[in-house]
Amino acid sequence: MKKVVIRIIVVILLLGGTYVTSPNQIGAFSSQQVARGAFGDDVIELQSRLQYIGYYKGTIDGKFGYGTYWALRTFQEKYGLPVDGIAGLKTRKKLVDVSKYDEKFVKDNLNKGNKFTHYGDKPLASQTKKGAGKKENIQLPAKYSEQDLKLIANAVYGESRGELYEGQVAVAAVILNRIEHADFPDTVGGVIFQPGAFTAVADGQIWLTPNAQAKEAVLDAINGWDPSENAIYYFNPITATSKWIWSRPQIKKIGLHVFCS
Amino acid sequence: MKKMIFVLVYAITTLTIFSFGKAAENEQLSIALSGQYARKMTDASKKLEELDTAVKKTLLFNESDGSSKAREDIWRLSSDIKNSVSSLPLDQSFSTSWMNYLGRLGNYAKEADRVTDHNEYLRVMGQASKNLRAMADEWEVATTGMVSGKLAISDWTNRLDATKSGHDWSGMGTTVKQYTESDFPLTASESDSMKKKELRNMPDSEVTREEAVERFKKLFPSVSNEIIGVETSKSGSPYPFYHIRFAENQSIGYIDILEKGGHVLSFLSERPFGKEVLPFEDIQKKAEKFLADAEYKDLVYEEARENNTAWHMVYVRVEPRYGAKVFSDTIHLKVAKDIGSIVGLDASEYIRKENTHPQPITKKDWKKFFHANVQVVKEELAYVENERLEQRLVHYLTVTIDEHGVIGTYAVIIDTETSEVIKTERLQ
Repeated sequence: MKKVVIRIIVVILLLGGTYVTSPNQIGAFSSQQVARGAFGDDVIELQSRLQYIGYYKGTIDGKFGYGTYWALRTFQEKYGLPVDGIAGLKTRKKLVDVSKYDEKFVKDNLNKGNKFTHYGDKPLASQTKKGAGKKENIQLPAKYSEQDLKLIANAVYGESRGELYEGQVAVAAVILNRIEHADFPDTVGGVIFQPGAFTAVADGQIWLTPNAQAKEAVLDAINGWDPSENAIYYFNPITATSKWIWSRPQIKKIGLHVFCS
Repeated sequence: MKKMIFVLVYAITTLTIFSFGKAAENEQLSIALSGQYARKMTDASKKLEELDTAVKKTLLFNESDGSSKAREDIWRLSSDIKNSVSSLPLDQSFSTSWMNYLGRLGNYAKEADRVTDHNEYLRVMGQASKNLRAMADEWEVATTGMVSGKLAISDWTNRLDATKSGHDWSGMGTTVKQYTESDFPLTASESDSMKKKELRNMPDSEVTREEAVERFKKLFPSVSNEIIGVETSKSGSPYPFYHIRFAENQSIGYIDILEKGGHVLSFLSERPFGKEVLPFEDIQKKAEKFLADAEYKDLVYEEARENNTAWHMVYVRVEPRYGAKVFSDTIHLKVAKDIGSIVGLDASEYIRKENTHPQPITKKDWKKFFHANVQVVKEELAYVENERLEQRLVHYLTVTIDEHGVIGTYAVIIDTETSEVIKTERLQ
């Protein structure tokens, strides 16, 4: 009996210790501090709460950019907190104390792709209007848009689904290399829809819905990866009909594609 | 039996009507497409004539001021024709050479203010005018069939693919390439930029295949035990490298290592990611420990973006003279959010470092330079490439402005010597 009691006490002490030493979770926020560059649920809550009390007037999109950063700094200044633009423990606690967050309302509208506000003291019904559909939950370098990512992902999926991941990143990189190259159009759409440039455009496969892997491949290419090593062409030696493509200097082969300059 | 015949006749009739409808629809689409292409070809021909005239107009003046309007026209028209050419079904070798020529012509006209020797401008544009005339004539002949409606789009594309196309597109492409080389040869800065990109003239000694594999194992011990293959780049590669593929546990990926010096070009690994998420401070520590271990020691953190499974991080080289960031010498890291492992490294831009030169620094009064609403929140020195592909020392400013209650943040990049605003970019 004594042993059982001791065991129970030990378990309670262990659980208590874990609770005490675990990072503090404030409200619905996770335990982590949130800073510029972050994205996700914590940022959605941060933006919503800041908007609720009138500090943030930008889009609630879950992406911690400069708009959120300056709003947070202003909030910190106003409430006598250290002004660093980082949502640490103290800042999040204060924010939870002075604002409200209707998670269901916010997330429902985000999922519907609606445009909406989350200002306090207004009926929820008056805070929404129809938007252009659900946005991609992806952060990109400033020079690229979500539209670019979608279009390149369509091309990558249409051209190289079934290829190695590396091969898919390489196809995306070829599209981006063309945009920078003087011999090609200087927009994503211009490059992809240049007549005769991509088989997937000619046979309509570009309009298939790309999977997550194709999107991730494009994201890596947009962030600088280029497994093609600066190629501006690629072809499948088994199916290629153009004689001219064989005259291009070849760089490397990935899966079924030969990449050329 | 009667029923069978009825069903058969009914099916054949339905199929015939359907086929006829589809054929008519396809023909309509083909006619519409031919019309679109014919219009674009006519537009391009007309603009080519206007471009030729604009080039000739600039030859009238001794002072560059006199020709500024015509030079603007050259830039605009060459961009317009370039856009038309890019959307037409043309021979690929011709279309790429032609777009390159038009781009270089437009840029040359745009940058003409910087040409100190006006006689040089007259010489180049005089030659360009002659070549443009010849190209305009060739273009007219080449596109006659399509523009006059005598050729259907299918016939036009068949002719492009045919060995004997009826028109020497390939010859036209070669001619334009020659015009580009003679009229607008690469500038020293463009040549430097190519050298960096193609890693030409690297002084380092070559590493063997085994040494390349060793380098891989040293940098990424957790994924380098199961190597699937090591290949050398093909002969057309502007820089020879080893392409190493691996598959260890659930990680699959590659690493490209330069033969000269054994430098890593890029590394990328794919694996299923766990749901747990490390704090960003831990991710950053792991990234910086990796960089230090890999002996990338002259870098500073620039930015990071979180996505579903990983953080994409950017580090920039700092040159010692001014402590300025060199934005063309960057390293990108992809760090997994679950355990903070390095799943991607791109160092291709960092390998051949930019040559940066000393440059006078003129102090500016930003309060006078910017509108009263603008606040300069951060000021740094950096080297940035301008439009002429020259590395210039710049004031790299982060400024804010109140835009109807929302604070807009911009990077404004100003040449320290000439005060030219090289770039203004809205930051997200």
